[in-house]
Amino acid sequence: MSGQAVEIIGRRVWLLESGSGIPLLYLHGFADIHSVKPSWLPFHKCLAQRSRVIAPAHPGCAQSDENDDIDTIDDVVFHYLELLDTLKLDKFDLVGHCVGGWIAAELAVRHPERIRKLVLIGASGLFVKGALIGDIFMNAQPEFGFSYASLREMLFASADQAEALDMFPDGKGELEDEVRRYQMLRLSSRIGFRPPYFYNRALRNRLHRITSPALVIWGEKDNFVPRSHGETYAKLIPHSAELKIIQGAGHSAPVERPLETAQLLTEFLAN
Amino acid sequence: MAYPYLDKDFDKSEHSGWVTVPNRLWNNQKARGLYQEYIDQLAYADELGFDGMVLNEHHQNIYGLMPSPNLIAAALTQCTSRGKIVILGNLLPLHLNPMRVAEEYAMLDQMSNGRLVAGFAPGGGPETFNYDVPSANTREKFWEAADLIVRSWTEDGPFAHEGRYFPLRYVNLWPKPLQKPFPPVWIPGSRSPSTMTEVAKRGYCYFLSSRSHGGETHRAQQEFARVLEQHGDKYHPFRFGILMSTYVAETDRQAREECEEGVWYFLKNCLKGHLRREGRQLTYGPGVPYIPAPAWREYMKNYTPGRKLLGDVENWDELEASQSIIVGSPETVTRRIAALIEKAKVGNLLIQFQLGNMPDLLARKSMKLFAEKVAPQLRHDSLIQFTREYPVLNVEPSAAAVQR
Repeated sequence: MSGQAVEIIGRRVWLLESGSGIPLLYLHGFADIHSVKPSWLPFHKCLAQRSRVIAPAHPGCAQSDENDDIDTIDDVVFHYLELLDTLKLDKFDLVGHCVGGWIAAELAVRHPERIRKLVLIGASGLFVKGALIGDIFMNAQPEFGFSYASLREMLFASADQAEALDMFPDGKGELEDEVRRYQMLRLSSRIGFRPPYFYNRALRNRLHRITSPALVIWGEKDNFVPRSHGETYAKLIPHSAELKIIQGAGHSAPVERPLETAQLLTEFLAN
Repeated sequence: MAYPYLDKDFDKSEHSGWVTVPNRLWNNQKARGLYQEYIDQLAYADELGFDGMVLNEHHQNIYGLMPSPNLIAAALTQCTSRGKIVILGNLLPLHLNPMRVAEEYAMLDQMSNGRLVAGFAPGGGPETFNYDVPSANTREKFWEAADLIVRSWTEDGPFAHEGRYFPLRYVNLWPKPLQKPFPPVWIPGSRSPSTMTEVAKRGYCYFLSSRSHGGETHRAQQEFARVLEQHGDKYHPFRFGILMSTYVAETDRQAREECEEGVWYFLKNCLKGHLRREGRQLTYGPGVPYIPAPAWREYMKNYTPGRKLLGDVENWDELEASQSIIVGSPETVTRRIAALIEKAKVGNLLIQFQLGNMPDLLARKSMKLFAEKVAPQLRHDSLIQFTREYPVLNVEPSAAAVQR
């Protein structure tokens, strides 16, 4: 396990890599590596037992350079195309959580041939009428000057569970965790604040282009990206298994139920 | 320009006075004539000899009912003749095309016979939510818009603007503003060095939008003076303004008695969601991430969660200590504002007289007392001070304007 900086068209991308085997590109979400924690979480460690896990930090997150030219999800996708070329990843497993899942889906519809298997966990990216993706920005503003309970409620099954309190504590957390959280919100404000809110209306009708087997995983109580988004992904991706629900988890299944979620992934990736 | 008809239990029953404050609370029976009352109050300031009338832009809130200050400004061009019409300011990132602001400001300058002070503001957190303005590039977008507007006022058109955010093929302003080279530009800030730097580069006036005036005002003045020097410019008091509130009555005791209801209405209701920790404050924080991450790291180092904001003051003494709202007899108010001017060397006082649900009659009485018994002394003393401290500069008469 080591962190390294990779340079793509003059910008630094920070990434962690661990394990060996088939390369697995992991794209992070909000309660995750790079967006809160500096290093691997138990979920990623499980994956690294069977795969070569590569986890880049999104532009402007952790030690990755910020890119002021990012206006839409397309710009993020092209950022990742550059990274894939630099890392010489021609065929790989792609796993994305939350916003990372959106980016994964957008990559998959553009370059289905490069993806061996696709996993989306609580992925944003779709427009589903009547099921708006939550407003993470308003909930990132503390209540009573210190409480992040509503943010935790959005990202986890319950605001009081230990993982939630560890990653999004009330008051002030570890300074560098605070900075990483801020960086992730700043990137997100570029692609998810104004309509479209964390979605791309065109994505739905492009999902049929995905050729790899796919697995869509959702927490039972996702208060950020409603479950109907998972159902839609599972239905419209041609080779997708049925939507898998992680009982008792909210939006951040990899953090809330790391072993169970990793187990689902390893089974799917091994088959 | 608050919405003054909220029930007494508003603070208990509602989470915020901004963005999500339910508009079922708007009452047409009560609010009929409210805009006329506010416009007349501003026109009264002109009659009393204030240097200007200040308007600002806010959306979806009970703090300020002016989503379009330009409409009120247009009304003022027709019922006033002397004072400056100061718009602080149009929120540029909320516009699809900043030329709309260039046009309306040019119209207002013509309609007012050259009385416009053109303020540009980027908008705070609440406006971000109201208009879905992504925060990360707000500042960049703001300055591109401001520069385009001023260019359209000063350069002959048509020309093409090859901007990042507002590319335009045909910039060709009709009408042009009356004032030459262009109307004075004021930019609000809350002591961020980057805003001061951008203001200094362009030779504009800086206006401190924080409402508390302890040591902070003096520090802001020093910082701004330093930034101006770095840009080969020199500070003088009319490059700098502050927002403050005051209430004047015959005696200290009477002043407090008369204004207290309005003051608490303003602090507890109007500032809820903006400058209060109660509920959810939307003005600044990680959900509106407009400052770069390194600046956020610096901010977080000194950040105390749950600290009190202006609207969290619990009693009158705390409020007095904040120096945000200066209340008293003409003597008291003169003394306290004079001390502020002396220390902070500030030439432009943007004064809010009507607070919260304060009745029109009381606001007018306070304005009149201020104009007759406070302003003359302040003008006189500050002119002497400024002439002494800034002798090489051609110092203009002191300015005091009524803030709505």
